[in-house]
Amino acid sequence: MAPAPAPRTGRGGDRGSSGPGGQQGGKKKFFYRRKRVCKFCVEKIEYIDFKDIKTLQQFIPERGKILPRRISGTCALHQRKLQAAIKRARIAALLPFTAD
Amino acid sequence: MRTYEVLFILSPQVTEEEATTLIAEFKRVAESTGATLKSEDAWGRRRLAYVIQKFHEGIYHLFVFESESSLAELDRRMKNSDRVLRHMIVRTDLDLKRADKLAKRNPKKERLRPAAPPAAPAATPATTPAADEAPQA
Repeated sequence: MAPAPAPRTGRGGDRGSSGPGGQQGGKKKFFYRRKRVCKFCVEKIEYIDFKDIKTLQQFIPERGKILPRRISGTCALHQRKLQAAIKRARIAALLPFTAD
Repeated sequence: MRTYEVLFILSPQVTEEEATTLIAEFKRVAESTGATLKSEDAWGRRRLAYVIQKFHEGIYHLFVFESESSLAELDRRMKNSDRVLRHMIVRTDLDLKRADKLAKRNPKKERLRPAAPPAAPAATPATTPAADEAPQA
């Protein structure tokens, strides 16, 4: 649980401070980006269940869109499975298609 | 043998007795086509993520069936029933099998990789997470 969300929150903080931070903020961003790893590989989750909303919600930002790989750091295989699971959850009205 | 997960949402206007009879009815339909119920989970009333037929909540119920054939008859019944807001039948056995295979394969790979380069084994016993990151990057 611990290693995966940490980089994400780190980046979120960067985003907020990117205005005043300037060049240094950019450097930090790069640093965090390299450290990101796939949550599902780390936790050895091979089957991503569409009913497991708690896990899926970590990849759904406020707007309800699917978090891109370049931000979440999910590997290609797991991103594909995650995407399918999120879409199923949306059909079952467990997750929103859009949120505003 | 295939495994199916059947998730459906009943209208919130359905009374509790009616819900139980509907659920029993669906179970019977599936079992009459040769499926066996493996597990069942009544989630109960839940808020919907978006409005369906002007309803904000629904009664969720989950079946897990094992069957040799598809659940076409159950699918048809649910589609025709006006009590069911939404239903979804997902075949899970293939994905679970693949996931099992992947879960078994991963530790082997990790054992092989640090052994190949001579410099790696020295670093691996101290910090295992670092070793995990290296082959992936």
